[in-house]
Amino acid sequence: MSRNSSAKSAALARIDRAARPALKRASYALTLAGVLWPVQAGAAALSIQAWAQGNPDGLLWAALLFVAIGALRALLDHWAGGVLFRMADGLISEERHELLAREAGRAEQAASSAALAALAAQKLPLLTPYLTRYYPAMTRVKVVPVVLLALTFYISWAAGLVLLVAGPLIPVFMALIGMAAKQASERQMVEIGALNDLLIDRLSALADIRLLDATKQAEDDFEARAEGLRHRTMAVLRVAFLSSTVLELFSALGVAMVAVYVGFSLLGEMQFGTWGGELTLYYGIFILLLAPEYFQPLRDLAAAWHDRAAALAVAEEMDALEAIESDTVPGQGGKAAPLAGIATLSTRGAVVLRGGQPVALPEIDLVQGETVALCGPSGAGKTSCLLALAGLVPLAEGRIVVAGTDLDEATADAWRTRLTLIPQAVHMPDMTLRAFLDPDATGGGLDTALKAAHADGIVAALPDGLETRLGETGAGVSGGEARRFLVARAILRGADVVLADEPTADLDPDTAATLIASLKDLAQAGATVLVASHDPQVIAAMDRHIDMPPAQKGESGA
Amino acid sequence: MKLLWTAFRLIWSAAPGAMWRGALMFVAVLLMGAALLGLSGWFITATGLAGIAGIGIAFDVFRPSAGVRLLALGRAGTRYGERLLTHDATLRALSALRTSLMRRLSRLSLPAMQRLRGPLALTRITADVDALDGIVLRLGLPVAAALLTHALVFLVLRWLTTPEMALTIALGYLLGGGLVMLRLVGVTFAPSRDAERANQTLRQDTIGMMRGRADLFVQGRLQTHLAALRETDDAMREAMTRLDHVDREAGLILSLLVTVIAGAALALGGHLVATEALDPARAAIGFFVALALGETVMPLRRGIAEIGRIRDAAERILEHDEQGTEAPRIGGAAHGAGIAAKALSFRREGASADLIHDLSLRIAPGETVALVGPSGSGKSTLLALLAGTEPGYRGEIEVLGQDLRAFGERELRAVLTMVPQRSALVGGTVFENLALAKPDLTTQEADAVLEAVQLAKVVARMGGLDGTLGESGAGLSGGESRRLVLARALLRHPDVLLLDEPTEGLDTQTAERVLAGIRAWLPEAAILMASHRRAEISSADRVFRLS
Repeated sequence: MSRNSSAKSAALARIDRAARPALKRASYALTLAGVLWPVQAGAAALSIQAWAQGNPDGLLWAALLFVAIGALRALLDHWAGGVLFRMADGLISEERHELLAREAGRAEQAASSAALAALAAQKLPLLTPYLTRYYPAMTRVKVVPVVLLALTFYISWAAGLVLLVAGPLIPVFMALIGMAAKQASERQMVEIGALNDLLIDRLSALADIRLLDATKQAEDDFEARAEGLRHRTMAVLRVAFLSSTVLELFSALGVAMVAVYVGFSLLGEMQFGTWGGELTLYYGIFILLLAPEYFQPLRDLAAAWHDRAAALAVAEEMDALEAIESDTVPGQGGKAAPLAGIATLSTRGAVVLRGGQPVALPEIDLVQGETVALCGPSGAGKTSCLLALAGLVPLAEGRIVVAGTDLDEATADAWRTRLTLIPQAVHMPDMTLRAFLDPDATGGGLDTALKAAHADGIVAALPDGLETRLGETGAGVSGGEARRFLVARAILRGADVVLADEPTADLDPDTAATLIASLKDLAQAGATVLVASHDPQVIAAMDRHIDMPPAQKGESGA
Repeated sequence: MKLLWTAFRLIWSAAPGAMWRGALMFVAVLLMGAALLGLSGWFITATGLAGIAGIGIAFDVFRPSAGVRLLALGRAGTRYGERLLTHDATLRALSALRTSLMRRLSRLSLPAMQRLRGPLALTRITADVDALDGIVLRLGLPVAAALLTHALVFLVLRWLTTPEMALTIALGYLLGGGLVMLRLVGVTFAPSRDAERANQTLRQDTIGMMRGRADLFVQGRLQTHLAALRETDDAMREAMTRLDHVDREAGLILSLLVTVIAGAALALGGHLVATEALDPARAAIGFFVALALGETVMPLRRGIAEIGRIRDAAERILEHDEQGTEAPRIGGAAHGAGIAAKALSFRREGASADLIHDLSLRIAPGETVALVGPSGSGKSTLLALLAGTEPGYRGEIEVLGQDLRAFGERELRAVLTMVPQRSALVGGTVFENLALAKPDLTTQEADAVLEAVQLAKVVARMGGLDGTLGESGAGLSGGESRRLVLARALLRHPDVLLLDEPTEGLDTQTAERVLAGIRAWLPEAAILMASHRRAEISSADRVFRLS
């Protein structure tokens, strides 16, 4: 995943391009602010020289000039900061939405949900310091030190020489440390992802872990991860602290040497270093005030180098995720007018890929109002077949014809509007039962639908009725009860195609019979019903059954 | 304020020694910065004066110039030490806090665990803990160090220059800086809190979207969900934009403040020199120190802008701190007596009648009992009671001849295993999933147990024990997941095995083989399975009916 050098990341190149215009404007303003410092320094030096020459009160204008230019520089910084923030904010938001929309549309999930959430909400913002600091620092470093160096040289070649020697050491050192910084950042990003991966899984499995007496082990695993994150984060910080310390030393030594040179020259103990003539107190203070500001842009660039390392690590993670090729779910998942035509369903030579394995669908021909069982041993691909018929998995071969038209990118959303899919394991979103069952808040039909699905009693038994929030996997009701809620939702939506996956799992024969009756009621009202099941009770109740074809030759040991 | 202080102590107390040393170094860094510029300014001005007066030879240049070098190097080195110490201590505290939050969750009651919303708990342990990292590093330490530095600098300036100069600088910074900071607290509190909340909602809803996306697609609500995410993002951006605005404004005001104070020191210095109250070199100290002290106030605004976020996160982290933990009990269990219930009754909280009333049951070692009854008759509840995860029962339960209440959690799990209806797998390899039940698992045993539950061929097709499962075990069909969960339970080699609908999702033939495999694996275990399938019921030695 990580390439050897800090070469081009596609994501970063794209972001850089979009950021360019704002970066230029802001960088010019910041550079101008840097170049204005000599005016302030001159004003201060003039004042102090006047004190020494016994003319201290006459130069109030110099103090005022010092304040005025300081204010102008502060305003420039303020303005540029605003331009940079708005640019970074807009760009990151766009990247975030493209990322989320792309990952949501994949037929097979490419990153764990928690790792994706961490990338979108925690890691993407790490691009901000890079965007707002690196390029401006790069621009400033090309102008400000050169101007200050030229001014220093103009006054004293010896002081200029000190700066000239100390200055370039900084970028060299920075490049050396930059590589270590990038590697440390990459490891930190990986560790953040791993911690999130581990957590989201372990949190969902807390009860199982407890029952298996693996609590201690799970806690130890987590502690190891948390400590790992600490180590990785500290490694990043250590490199950053070390480099900023070394750079501070360079600049402090440079400033101290200039100060000592100026001091000795003023005392008259050093007679060299100027272009003839003596170094006056005014010039001495002036070049002393320039020295720290000469180093500052170099130090800023070094700090921004770390921001760049972090941004590169994030960008490479974005690249890696983007590079995973997978099919997309046909359609957009948006609202659409129901597909016109009678609710029929056929497959012709259809094959889907699941985890790289081909799964052949049986030849299906369903007419409206029919109830059909889809049979086959476990692992034969019944669930994959239902997902394909719901347009959730793209076809590798063959075709699926729904309501007389091909199920494809263009028709998937409209087809799904007529459809309900009752999965084996129901995922309950974090919302009230009412909002889940009746997302458009139609209100009226909900009670009737619950009654028709024999689910009104389940609601009545819940502590807060329809305002209850169930657990993620439906904790609070049994698996069969959760499925009856989905039947109620199908009735409320007026779905006329129902695909159900093992609907009678975990149900006693009486309750199973009730659920089967609900499905038959739906068919009676004109819906086409396909049920994947191996339950003889279900198979017997349906009009007919279809068998899954035997496993493909690609599978071993079958 | 109390919450902030509690959170501050929480982070500080993880490594108080390192924090104290770091705090002292922090003050030292600020003092050395002021001293460095002050000394340099004095040195140059004094040498200039000496040069003008022609007394250069008599001037002691070595001590001041050595001081300049010492301060320059010392300041950089001390800053490095301070940063390492305080950051390391803070990260240690955060890591410990994460672990203790996780530990707290794993002490919850079983029903509470099942109701737990993963994404919410996740952001508690990640984002909320991360939010606390600024409380010492960017808030507590810099504020305290700045105040101390200004107090010390005031005393030194009074001695080196004049009281007017010392007072101008101290009051300028304290009043000006203090006002800016106070205003900043008020203005940033709400947006700082809102931005963090929106960020966490964004994370939670992203996880929710990815986990529920099949349903979102079928309901045609994926685009609606994405639009809702965008709205949350917009709310976050709006809060961040407000924060940025306030922050830059404060930065501007502080820059102006530093400039004005330095300018005032310059003007005052001129006045003092003119009235001969001060010599020019000492007057220069005032100006240069005023300039250097800017570094005490500029970084404060970052920490101040985090107060809303820190306080909110601290509140969430600290709120349910009173959860009691379960003390392990000691007792010696005798093997070989199966499980029994005598006159067992149980009533749900708030219910008007017993769900289970006066029930008695005994299962001997090696015996398999099928527990049948309509949905809602309390099959799963009875299993939970017997497994010791639902403590509020009346009557008696004996596991291996001992009262269930006398067991400690770990002792009970060592002899009794329950497989609930909804069992979760974790992302990772097949082997890792199995090893959850047995840390010292060997590959031979793993292969054997997979064979017992008819999963060997499936796993071989996935690439063997190293074949990987996606998030929450994605990649297996319903029936395959069920069998892997059973295999995991078998590895515990329990004396009592409680199963809730063990072969759900399996075809009859596979179900029969799996049940036979379980019995062959655990010939001496007492097995109770809640069931309605013919395959399960016919494999049992007898049937126990709940009505």
